[in-house]
Amino acid sequence: MAKDRNPRKKKPKQKRVIIFTTPTCSFCRAAKAYFRQRGIRFREVDVSKDPAAARDMVRRSKQQGVPVIDIGGKIVVGFDRPKIDKLLGLSPQG
Amino acid sequence: MLDFKLAPQESDAHEKAGERIYDLIVIGGGPAGLTAAIYACRARLDTLVLAGALPGGQPANTDMVENYPGFPQGVTGADLAQLFQDQAERFGARIELDNVMSVDFSSRPFSVSTYGVTYKGRTVIVATGANPRRLGVPGEDKFYGRGVSACATCDGFFYQDRTVVVVGGGDSAIAEGLFLTKFAREVIVIHRRDELRATKIFQEQAFANPKMRFVWDTVVEEILGDETVTGVRVRNVKTGAESVIETDGVFIYVGMEPATEIFAGQLELNEQGYVIADRRQRTNIPGVFAAGDVQDPYYRQIVIAAGTGAVAAMEVEKFLAEQE
Repeated sequence: MAKDRNPRKKKPKQKRVIIFTTPTCSFCRAAKAYFRQRGIRFREVDVSKDPAAARDMVRRSKQQGVPVIDIGGKIVVGFDRPKIDKLLGLSPQG
Repeated sequence: MLDFKLAPQESDAHEKAGERIYDLIVIGGGPAGLTAAIYACRARLDTLVLAGALPGGQPANTDMVENYPGFPQGVTGADLAQLFQDQAERFGARIELDNVMSVDFSSRPFSVSTYGVTYKGRTVIVATGANPRRLGVPGEDKFYGRGVSACATCDGFFYQDRTVVVVGGGDSAIAEGLFLTKFAREVIVIHRRDELRATKIFQEQAFANPKMRFVWDTVVEEILGDETVTGVRVRNVKTGAESVIETDGVFIYVGMEPATEIFAGQLELNEQGYVIADRRQRTNIPGVFAAGDVQDPYYRQIVIAAGTGAVAAMEVEKFLAEQE
């Protein structure tokens, strides 16, 4: 019983999520909406405002396009829900 | 610009146990699917929309929409997509961002499966729309995402002060080519004919834009590159002459293909792969309806997709009433 009061036990630590976006990218918006819906915390990097981050993203993902999502160091290209669910340990159902 | 939002969801115990049966499952979250959901929810049908990875459908990837009535100044495709979705959710539609991998229309209730869940519905509206057609030339797959793209609003930013090629001569090619001029130094339109098919107002804008250049009567034979794209090998269809055009990016807008692979063998498709639906949007299977671009080889307009979505939902309501 006592361990239920420990918030760290209740909510296992989530992998770090960084999503690289541009303002006009709809797949990026959809991916962010999905993270919010599932209660996933994420950091957004708008590469159109951060040229260094854009270069870093292209170098690491080999992609000249967004979204690119970094989940605990693993790169997901595009809004690939099965892959995202797997890396975050989410059930297939919302 | 609006940011994408989704209503929070509760998946219920019945669904987890595989017992929940929706009145209507809409496959696809573009203008047709979301309009169908608005109508169905207002008729108090329990409605699930499986919207795929791009809620809003093709308009969500479109820079500006200027021919949808009610927006005299135009509206960005992304904003219009969000407005459709807000309206469907306001009346109680459940929207899931998940792709449908398979369907079983052989018995009722119908089964619709994503990668991890099978949903049941008394009726289905197929509104999966269409996907950009590929060129089918060497280098295209290899460089996809590394210089080859079908989404200017997604990838245009990466071509600042660079040269890009747009392949095609229709509305998408010219509208997205114009969008790319915001970033690129030069936009070279390669078209297999000697005139554009795009709407006249797009043509006027394109010919007046100093960054746009046109290569007529020409087809792309191969996409060249090392790590990323460096050029395209082209052939003039009138003279047969081959040459290489240097470019950093290739945006392909050579038409659309209906997204119907998962329905093959279950729904009647025409020879181009479009779902065959009658004027009441009925398919060959009673209880399965189709709306939007997936059943429209001719017009492919937001306003028409929305219209057929409304028809399909009204037919669903009638169908369910007759079943009772």
